[in-house]
Amino acid sequence: SHTYKKNHDITKTWKGKKGHLFRVNDHDFTMRPAFGGPAIPVGVDVQLESLDSISEVDMDFTMTLYLRHYWKDERLSFPSTINKSMTFDGRLVKKIWVPDVFFVHSKRSFIHDTTTDNIMLRVFPDGHVLYSMRITVTAMCNMDFSRFPLDSQTCSLELESYAYTDEDLMLYWKNGNESLKTDEKISLSQFLIQKFHTTSRLAFYSSTGWYNRLYINFTLRRHIFFFLLQTYFPATLMVMLSWVSFWIDRRAVPARVSLGITTVLTMSTIITGVNASMPRVSYIKAVDIYLWVSFVFVFLSVLEYAAVNYLTTVQEWNERKLRERFPCTCGIPHSKTMMLDGNYSESDAISLAGYTRNQMVPEEENQEKMLVHLAMSNESNSSQKRGLKGHVGLCIIQNTHAIDKYSRLIFPGTYIFFNLIYWSVFS
Amino acid sequence: SKREIKMRKLDSTKVWPLKSEQLLRIEDHDFALRPGFGGSPIPVGIDVQVESIDSISEVDMDFTMTLYLRHYWKDERLSFRSNKNKSMTFDGRLIKKIWVPDVFFVHSKRSFIHDTTVENIMLRVYPDGNVLFSLRITVSAMCFMDFSRFPLDTQNCSLELESYAYNEDDLMLYWKHGNKSLNTDEHISLSQFFIEEFSASSGLAFYSSTGWYNRLFINFALRRHIFFFVLQSYFPAMLMVMLSWVSFWIDRRAVPARVSLGITTVLTMSTIMTGVSASMPQVSYIKAVDVYLWISFLFVFLSVIEYAAVNYLTTVEERKQLKKRGKASGMYNIDAVQAMAFDGCFHDTDVDLDLTPFSDHCEENETRARAASICDVDTPRLKRKRSLKGSVGRIILQNNHVIDRYSRIIFPSVYIVFNFFYWGLYI
Repeated sequence: SHTYKKNHDITKTWKGKKGHLFRVNDHDFTMRPAFGGPAIPVGVDVQLESLDSISEVDMDFTMTLYLRHYWKDERLSFPSTINKSMTFDGRLVKKIWVPDVFFVHSKRSFIHDTTTDNIMLRVFPDGHVLYSMRITVTAMCNMDFSRFPLDSQTCSLELESYAYTDEDLMLYWKNGNESLKTDEKISLSQFLIQKFHTTSRLAFYSSTGWYNRLYINFTLRRHIFFFLLQTYFPATLMVMLSWVSFWIDRRAVPARVSLGITTVLTMSTIITGVNASMPRVSYIKAVDIYLWVSFVFVFLSVLEYAAVNYLTTVQEWNERKLRERFPCTCGIPHSKTMMLDGNYSESDAISLAGYTRNQMVPEEENQEKMLVHLAMSNESNSSQKRGLKGHVGLCIIQNTHAIDKYSRLIFPGTYIFFNLIYWSVFS
Repeated sequence: SKREIKMRKLDSTKVWPLKSEQLLRIEDHDFALRPGFGGSPIPVGIDVQVESIDSISEVDMDFTMTLYLRHYWKDERLSFRSNKNKSMTFDGRLIKKIWVPDVFFVHSKRSFIHDTTVENIMLRVYPDGNVLFSLRITVSAMCFMDFSRFPLDTQNCSLELESYAYNEDDLMLYWKHGNKSLNTDEHISLSQFFIEEFSASSGLAFYSSTGWYNRLFINFALRRHIFFFVLQSYFPAMLMVMLSWVSFWIDRRAVPARVSLGITTVLTMSTIMTGVSASMPQVSYIKAVDVYLWISFLFVFLSVIEYAAVNYLTTVEERKQLKKRGKASGMYNIDAVQAMAFDGCFHDTDVDLDLTPFSDHCEENETRARAASICDVDTPRLKRKRSLKGSVGRIILQNNHVIDRYSRIIFPSVYIVFNFFYWGLYI
């Protein structure tokens, strides 16, 4: 019957409800333990579950952790023969006093509430309380990108009581430096987590006083491999491609120009791609230095070919003017044959093959031949007499190879030197 | 029972006359009415400490700020007896039972009081009834931005506080310490902006339906760092324009080269412009960066048009010369224009090309050679006699370099002048 069932109800062994066990209604839990008395010490213990993300653009990080508070509230003591703690439902938290710890500089945070609020409340018979919750917090971290992507960032999560100054509540790390545990292996894809450590300090607010503040500090070192593959390697390849232009014959104008301009376009695309995922900082980053110097190299290769081409054209004009004085020249100047069919031809001597053939013409031509001969000799004489101008022009047209020849050595040498300096400075 | 009485005596919180609510006599008063209800307006002092400016969004035209908002007022219903003049800090949950000012943020889009681990609320009551009520809030508020000088712009934003229900007859909102009410104790910095000044001001706002309200303003001016945009937009645009000038130094006969150079620089300019517009709101006026990019685009475009003109005039002159030669010497010539257009190799003028068949057939065509040579000798004279037209044509043919030569000077100098004007105007 009724009485029989009551006897088997285990919960009724205790004196009624737990509220009666604690006499929650007898006390005013809006006031802290030892209200009006000395500061209540609250120990804090943290176990990090994961570092969810680090965002450069927002300059913040997201972390999930178990936050545990330890304090003593005598109003919660209860009689017990065994010194065993009792675990209560999280909803009791609303009725008792709990420390109001918050995360300074946090942007968003929440207590997980699936399937119920992830809160644990454990009370020991003497009134000691263990209060644990699972929180995800997104907090600010000031990042310095002047050495990006070869940088290390130091971030910290700060805990503080919101209302109680250090005269009312003393926040401390429960186990000193071992209060911070990362039992499971925490790893990030882009960073290497160097170390976690805890510190504590006092923070002053001009309007409200001194507060205890606890810090969780960690250092992150970025893995560079991704950026090597994504940015550095393509940029280096583009610069090397632009050097190919020095090895192509200077007479292949469309080829060299389009090679130069397309490498410039690709460098510009790489640069735009890097800045898309970065915050808009006002100083230059390490990756910017590399990309812009590479861009300058590629740009200079285009300018180098413009110079080569221009000097070639100048020499062409000079030679043409020389030849116009002597209208009948059987010899085809070498430069023209060169432009015509793209084949190499040596200096004027060989191209005068046409001229030498004419030596077999009949006598009537001898005058012409003489004329030509004279023209040729005059040309050489006059070029010497006229000034070094024509000679220099000749030198230049032969030596425009020189600009290319020098470039083939100078550009790679300078680029390798720049790389040596860059990697030794930043690594 | 006896045990209960004994436990009550050990309860330290019971040193005070029972609960805080009874301490503060909450049940005795009706806190739905403001202090001094029916009488003079209650003065509420405001103090703000800005923790951080989280982000400024151009696309949404808003900013997000985290701040500590403190209210100071006097409610005599909350006074309590005390020997020392020390304030008592209460749990945040007490505010649900007393009267607090209903300050809201005008023009805010989203806002929330941080609630980890508990609601970040502090309530401190002094014995005479003065109350300090502090909250930690993140608010996203509208800021009307003017981008006509972007990215050399300065934006003025303000956060506005006002009581929702009580107009100035009931509640007087004022800055507690005048201009020093606004603190930024920690170092606030944004990656893209320089925060010029924070200032506090107050005013009255009129609503036609509800009356006059006190409104407090937190004003700050943000000056954008231009370095990022110089590196990202201005510098590449400048380099593209300079690259397009390279085309003037390349021989005009290299048709594919000059055309591909011109058109690829146009393509790169277009890419740069698209990249800038991606992160900007679609405003109906022109921005400073648009002015620069579009004028640079125009320069690059004109270099392509310039080469089209050069090429066209070259072709016209070639045809004229062909026509003349066709009448005089009987078609020895290879169509130089066609040859030039085909393979992009240099071809010299018709004069020299005629000699190619001539030299091969030197023996047979001596007479013709002589005729040709005579013609060649005479041709200039003929040309001179016939009209200036041919010689002008020849001058243009030789001096199509003129358009190029002038362009080499005009384009850079006009661009430099434009730069002087632009930077002088905007900086």
